[in-house]
Amino acid sequence: MDVLNGLLHGFAVALQPTNLFWCFVGCFLGTVVGILPGLGPAATIALLLPLTFKMDPAGGIIMLAGIYYGAKYGGSTTSILLNIPGESSSVVTCIDGHAMAKNGRAGPALGIAAIASFVAGTFGILALTLLAPPVASFALQFSSPEYFALMCLGLALVVLLSGPSLIKGLMSLFLGLWLTSIGTDLFSAQARFVFGQSELLGGMDFVVVAIGVFAIAEVLASIDGGEKARMLPVPKGVRNLLPSWEELKACRFAFINGSVTGFIIGVLPGAGSAISSFIAYGIEKAFSKHPEKFGHGVPEGVAAPEGANNSDSGGALVPLLTLGIPGGGTTAIMLSALVLWGVRPGPLLMTESPDVFWGLVASMYIGNVVLLILNLPMVPVFAQILRMPVHVLFPVILGISLVGAYGVGGRLFDVGLLVGFGLLGYTMVKLKYPTAPLILGFVLGDAMERALRQSLTMSQGDLGILVRGWISATMLACAVLILLLPLLGRFNKARVQAIAEGG
Amino acid sequence: MIIRLSPALAALALVAASAFPAHAQFKPTKQIEFVVHGGPGSGNDVFARQLSTIIDQEKLAPVRVQVVNKPGGGATTAANYMASKKGDPYTIACFTNIWLLNPLVQKAAVNRLQDMSPIARLVVEPALVVVLADSPFKTLAQFIDAAKANPGKLKWSGGSILSRENTVRQLLMQKTGARWQFISFPSGGERLAALLGGHVEMMIVDPSEAVEQIRGGKFRAIAQVSEHRLPGFPDVPTIKEAGFDIPNVPQMRGIVGAPGMSPEAVAYYEDLFFKVSQTPAWKKFLTDSHLDGEFVRSAQLKPFLINFEGTLREILKGTGAKVVR
Repeated sequence: MDVLNGLLHGFAVALQPTNLFWCFVGCFLGTVVGILPGLGPAATIALLLPLTFKMDPAGGIIMLAGIYYGAKYGGSTTSILLNIPGESSSVVTCIDGHAMAKNGRAGPALGIAAIASFVAGTFGILALTLLAPPVASFALQFSSPEYFALMCLGLALVVLLSGPSLIKGLMSLFLGLWLTSIGTDLFSAQARFVFGQSELLGGMDFVVVAIGVFAIAEVLASIDGGEKARMLPVPKGVRNLLPSWEELKACRFAFINGSVTGFIIGVLPGAGSAISSFIAYGIEKAFSKHPEKFGHGVPEGVAAPEGANNSDSGGALVPLLTLGIPGGGTTAIMLSALVLWGVRPGPLLMTESPDVFWGLVASMYIGNVVLLILNLPMVPVFAQILRMPVHVLFPVILGISLVGAYGVGGRLFDVGLLVGFGLLGYTMVKLKYPTAPLILGFVLGDAMERALRQSLTMSQGDLGILVRGWISATMLACAVLILLLPLLGRFNKARVQAIAEGG
Repeated sequence: MIIRLSPALAALALVAASAFPAHAQFKPTKQIEFVVHGGPGSGNDVFARQLSTIIDQEKLAPVRVQVVNKPGGGATTAANYMASKKGDPYTIACFTNIWLLNPLVQKAAVNRLQDMSPIARLVVEPALVVVLADSPFKTLAQFIDAAKANPGKLKWSGGSILSRENTVRQLLMQKTGARWQFISFPSGGERLAALLGGHVEMMIVDPSEAVEQIRGGKFRAIAQVSEHRLPGFPDVPTIKEAGFDIPNVPQMRGIVGAPGMSPEAVAYYEDLFFKVSQTPAWKKFLTDSHLDGEFVRSAQLKPFLINFEGTLREILKGTGAKVVR
């Protein structure tokens, strides 16, 4: 029972009063950072790093990890209330979360997000505790063809995000794919579609695009629709602020789905947490008994992506702690923090620094409870924000959006882009083009293109490499199936109709 | 007569200025902005924050040196920002090779490293050529022979085609006639994962990234990209010692001021960073990160950069990259 001994030792470390304190500080900061768009966990950890030089490594990593997974908890708040995604991982939450808020179920949506985060977050840590070494070697089997197939699977979800017209959904997706190709190409070091603007050489930031087409577009469309200066319905009474038993029951499958999907994708160093929430949402809708209600505010549509992005945190720590490989920006800074404290992150970390490894793992169980306790009581408070009349609420949304876009890189250029994307999103809403596929393409397009070009360089141009491995072949087959299903459905409907008319 | 004398006088003044940096008249009275081209947590951000922390702790400057992140477009955003601060004695930046390379291949990157005011070069970063511990390649020569026998079949993982990994590969391929693939990955983690998973055969990596993998028995170093052997790797030959006489490609880090900074301010910063380079904290940082700390002053830095840009341009042309300047 190595794991049990390790975990007991870890709790002994994590339950020391100072470490408990740092765990709380990290979770609190993480929640705040998650709520503020534009300020991400990576930037926060980098800013706080000099303050931790003198700290004990176990306490330090416990706090920094708290910021990391705490930010995922907080990210859903602005998504649900204001349609402003606080982090890239919470963009999917906007779709059904904000729809729930508009239906007067803001409180329950926030509550479900917190509960799903807790359940899946805990699952992620449990899986990290029990499965870390074997799962890490599974992750290493993923090469470029597998990543390409994974991204294709994600992009195939456009079918589920596009609403009535698949053609419009695909056009929106392709626009997103094009937008993500703007900037410097990694392979040739050449600029693409920058139109002589040196600000575009680094590409556009996800936060700017997503806030533009979601939040700004929504405000513009509401004003234009003569939103009748009415307030969003916020029912009184504590019972209406917490999720009902029926809503929680509807999320049963979403909790499991989010937990498992999030962890598996989180383990892959090249995937990123946005895709795990997209895929969890897609699975949820594909297996739902009432897929037509998605997008109009179903609780599962909040629980699945929120669960996935929190389980993803546990998964992302697997390659970091067992192999010394950071999967993303935030984990890369945590790695350099470990080095600065004199801990040697790598394959030997688990055996050489058990205090750090097991202390961190144990603290995350505690941190998830802390986050639930921090977040649930805040639900009624946050839900009150929507009581503001629209002539106050809309300027608040615009203000937060502008500050968020400026906060990304401290450039006014991004604010201009934000306005541009707001107008684009507004036009799309008016012409009844869905905006979610655009974001899907923007988030996954870059990784997909990269994986395809890496694969073809490896095989010297032979496309067969994409289907040679069983993992990639299976995922590509699933992607094709998802894309074809609606066509089959339509064909079937037409056939049934023809038979009926004939008979 | 006066006209003929003036270059000599100028030279004399220059010698005097560099000989007595302590007499610099510039003294900062407000916060200094220290521009970094990477986001928080990137290699160059960590490097700059280390410098600013030492200046703070050792009280080497009367004011704060505040790190400011200007990420985007390689170093383009940061270089543009520096250009917008022309003549400002309170704006300095931490440069790396990318500041030289970007303007060479990108039309839109108009602000070149030469336009800035060179202050000092602080370090040169060596690198290791590593393979999996159970790889059949025990030496670089074995790898090159295998690549000759199977043209285009073997693979390296690395960053963009402007990276040093690819430059070294190009030089080796030109020298030996062997040919193998270069697979670009955006992050260091993905490059390591590609080698650990056996999807590529070899990579060039910073010693600090590889040292734990080597200690943990996952990687084996077969050569080092450096002028001389690193203290941490006394048994690993340099590329030259391994039998391949290609020019060493230094990966450098240093400090420049905003364009048109006054010589007094340049002298002040040169002196400030020289003091930093003498502190025990800085020496410990260099040892921990396996860096070569060779302090190059402003007067030598300028001709070095012009020279080095020429070398890089030739190498880039050899790689088939589109060189625009």
